[in-house]
Amino acid sequence: MNSATAPASGKLTAATSGFVLAAAVTVLFNTALAWAKDAYAPLNGLMQSLTGHHWTTHGLADLVLFAGLGFILTNTRMAQRIDPNRLIGALIGAVAAAALGLALWFAFV
Amino acid sequence: MAISTSDIILLAHAGFGVTGCLAAVWVFVEALNAQPANARRMRTAALVTALSMAGAWICGGYWYVHFYPLEKTLILRGPWPFAHNLFMETKEHLFFITAILAFLLPVAAREKVYANAAARKLVLSVAALIAITGLAVEGAGAVIEHGAKVALLRGGSIGAQQ
Repeated sequence: MNSATAPASGKLTAATSGFVLAAAVTVLFNTALAWAKDAYAPLNGLMQSLTGHHWTTHGLADLVLFAGLGFILTNTRMAQRIDPNRLIGALIGAVAAAALGLALWFAFV
Repeated sequence: MAISTSDIILLAHAGFGVTGCLAAVWVFVEALNAQPANARRMRTAALVTALSMAGAWICGGYWYVHFYPLEKTLILRGPWPFAHNLFMETKEHLFFITAILAFLLPVAAREKVYANAAARKLVLSVAALIAITGLAVEGAGAVIEHGAKVALLRGGSIGAQQ
């Protein structure tokens, strides 16, 4: 698409908006869970006991949250009420904060 | 030549990861030039991204759970313990972010990217984030493997001196 002919704005479908917001929440949850299980050994042990390895449980929790929240937000159309640019900004911010949060945690804590 | 199952799984993990990153760059380029004519190709590339990252997850996860503990012990006893304490710990969790973004990409690519500026911006952003975080994960993998290598080399040199 040539930017000169592109529409100035546009709306995202309920499914896209819902899953974008779900992704932003999930990446933040992912980092928070990594911090929590690293800081609190019983949680790590519980996650280990559920699937045999804490990392497997962690990944499944992320997947369930992303898919579940995505479907809920799609059906309720909640995320579609948010301006698409703010939604995209929230996703980029969430990914940057979550990635930096992981690196700093394991570097200094 | 002795190539073990562990080697194949590990290399498949890295191969799937690189393929996912390249496919994300492919989506980025298609979105930059979004037209009705390349919409289907962009959706295919987005699907390749998601499937590749799923493959990287399955292979990497299997290897991490079944084969990494031995390498972890080696790294922690070697001169580069940070290869595990910082790089592996960050990588194993950062990968989930890359994978979630990869699963989001086919959903975003279903939009009419050629006619919707917001959808185009979203696809460009998600594809770029996948490529950036994916390359960071790949780089961390290289540091981890070097951590194991220097541990083995040091162990070998100590053994040679004795």
